[in-house]
Amino acid sequence: MNAQTMILFVDDDKEDCGILQDAFEDFNAQKHIHFEENGEKALEYVARCHTANALPCLIVLDLNMPRMNGTQTLKHLKLNENYKHIPVVIYSTSLNGIEKDECMRLGAYDYIMKPLTYQECIDTAKKLYELCLQFSGTTSQQ
Amino acid sequence: MLEIAKITLENEMDLILAHRGAMRIGELLGLSFSAQTTFATAVSELSRNSIDHGKTGCLYLGISNEQQKEKYLIACLKDRSVKDSKKNEGLEYAKRLVDKLTVSTAGDESSIELQVAAPLLDKLNSKKLEEWKGLFNEEAPISPYEEIKRKNQQLKELTEKLQASESQYKTLTNALPLIIFSLNNNGHLIYANEWLYQYTGETIAQLNHTGWQGIIHPDDYDSFRLLLGSKTDSAATNIKTQCRIKHRQSDSYFWHLISISPQKDEKDEILHWIGYMVDIHAQKVFAETLQDNRELKETQEQLKDQQQQLELNVSELNRSNLELQQFAFVASHDLQEPVRKMIFYSDYFLKKYAPVIDKKGTDYLKSMMAASHRMRNLISDLLAFSQVNRQQLTYGHINLNQLAHEALQDLEVAIKEKDAVIHIQSFPLIEADAGLIRQLFENIISNAIKYSNTGVQPVINITCRQNDNDLIISFEDNGIGFDEKYLPKMFTLFQRLHTRESYKGTGLGLAICRKIVEMHHGTITARSNMGKGATFTVTLPITQYY
Repeated sequence: MNAQTMILFVDDDKEDCGILQDAFEDFNAQKHIHFEENGEKALEYVARCHTANALPCLIVLDLNMPRMNGTQTLKHLKLNENYKHIPVVIYSTSLNGIEKDECMRLGAYDYIMKPLTYQECIDTAKKLYELCLQFSGTTSQQ
Repeated sequence: MLEIAKITLENEMDLILAHRGAMRIGELLGLSFSAQTTFATAVSELSRNSIDHGKTGCLYLGISNEQQKEKYLIACLKDRSVKDSKKNEGLEYAKRLVDKLTVSTAGDESSIELQVAAPLLDKLNSKKLEEWKGLFNEEAPISPYEEIKRKNQQLKELTEKLQASESQYKTLTNALPLIIFSLNNNGHLIYANEWLYQYTGETIAQLNHTGWQGIIHPDDYDSFRLLLGSKTDSAATNIKTQCRIKHRQSDSYFWHLISISPQKDEKDEILHWIGYMVDIHAQKVFAETLQDNRELKETQEQLKDQQQQLELNVSELNRSNLELQQFAFVASHDLQEPVRKMIFYSDYFLKKYAPVIDKKGTDYLKSMMAASHRMRNLISDLLAFSQVNRQQLTYGHINLNQLAHEALQDLEVAIKEKDAVIHIQSFPLIEADAGLIRQLFENIISNAIKYSNTGVQPVINITCRQNDNDLIISFEDNGIGFDEKYLPKMFTLFQRLHTRESYKGTGLGLAICRKIVEMHHGTITARSNMGKGATFTVTLPITQYY
């Protein structure tokens, strides 16, 4: 299985998507991020990737989404033999201890807060991109 | 012997009656005149003998029983036996005159029986016997003496009957389980059955002397005296009252119904009063209990109604409380998003467009950003406050030292900034919710650091002591302290002692602390002298009993 150097970013908040897209454009990495607006669409996208033999190497999930929320999506991903190796980072508005614990128990790789300032936003984008590169390297080695 | 006539022997006059009686009975049985005379002479001899010795005997005249084949006329003389009887001439003489003479003695009484054959006596029936008895009684008296004697005899018998009847009544009244009495017109007892004494332990004389004091319950005494003195109303037929009367053996009062009725003569004047007292205690207690029970039931019903109302109110309150909680949670959660955006966009503006806007514009943008930050803090505190309720409390045996160190890690930036020193004593394990207690520690320690004296290194001592099941934790600081008059308000929502400019805060920190502590069935308080630091004291149960 090949992994493309691609981040799947799932969030129903168009503004957050736009802000992150801006940040990725800031260091010219916008082609490495793909946006989906809820869990259902995200799973469909992953299935398509699987058929195309090119899974994303990192998935970032917002928690509060319509149709299928972040936690449910995380469960689905981790239950699927084909996807469960893909690292999932939870991207949440606030730090909620219980929510975080639950996500980590379900197999999330990390739980990060949505950025508050422009600088934080750039930092977050960079961190996610670096993770993506790191995992594309490791998964491609498999 | 079947008795037909009876003659008492007291004096010579009776001798004539005896002789006459003997003649008459001989005649009735059909004896010849000579046989009548012989029998009467024998009877006279014996009677004289008895009278002479003053033994007050009694002569019975009659006939032999039906069972005997041979029919006899019988005269029997019963009197007191005399031991020193000399040769009884009369007896000897009489012996010769009759067919059979028997003498017998039973105890004090001796009896002499004379028998003369009565061959003409047919089969006797009881009807005939009664007829003869009547003849003897109704026969016109031969003398005034006999008449007096007869009347006397009748009177005597009447008296005996009366005495027997009275004694029967006495036995009856004594056997009844109630006090029966009679009163004269002065209210004094004339008669009372034994029950009065048995019950009260007082005799009639004693009661008349004391006027029943000490026997009638003091509360009922007046109405009782009124009853005793009710001679005024002669038209009354029956007067009743209820009193408590003291029972001698148990020394306690029991309810009695007392009833008296006047006894009047033919002129309708009251001779005396008769009455009874009957124990109605059980009845009375039963009635009272019934009444109490009814009242109790009513109260119970009321209580039930009130309880239902209360339950209704409680469930209503719970519902509205839950709604508020949900509202607080949802609102604070959803409000975070737009606030975060406001901060982000104003920051973006400042970063990217600062050169193209003037100073005033930049200042306003900065103010907008600061306001957004305050709102964000407020919302996050509200969220924390609503979550203290919302999240289910999970008790575990928690290590307070570990939690305290985690709290210090979270406060690392503030501690470094103020160069604060925090001493933490070693704590025992307690049963509590780890997340909430950590938040509690964080809030109190961060307050202590925040409200420090300028230019003084903050020193915070966290100590504890145990009191039974309570762990009393003290957070002592050397900060600015507070005026204790604000203490009652300090732990309530949105209360701030300082302006926002001097100390940042939402006014929720201590309210959250109080909520956490109270959910753990503990207490929180504080004391302070202005400028000399403050001590917050948290008391938490070591083991939760729920």
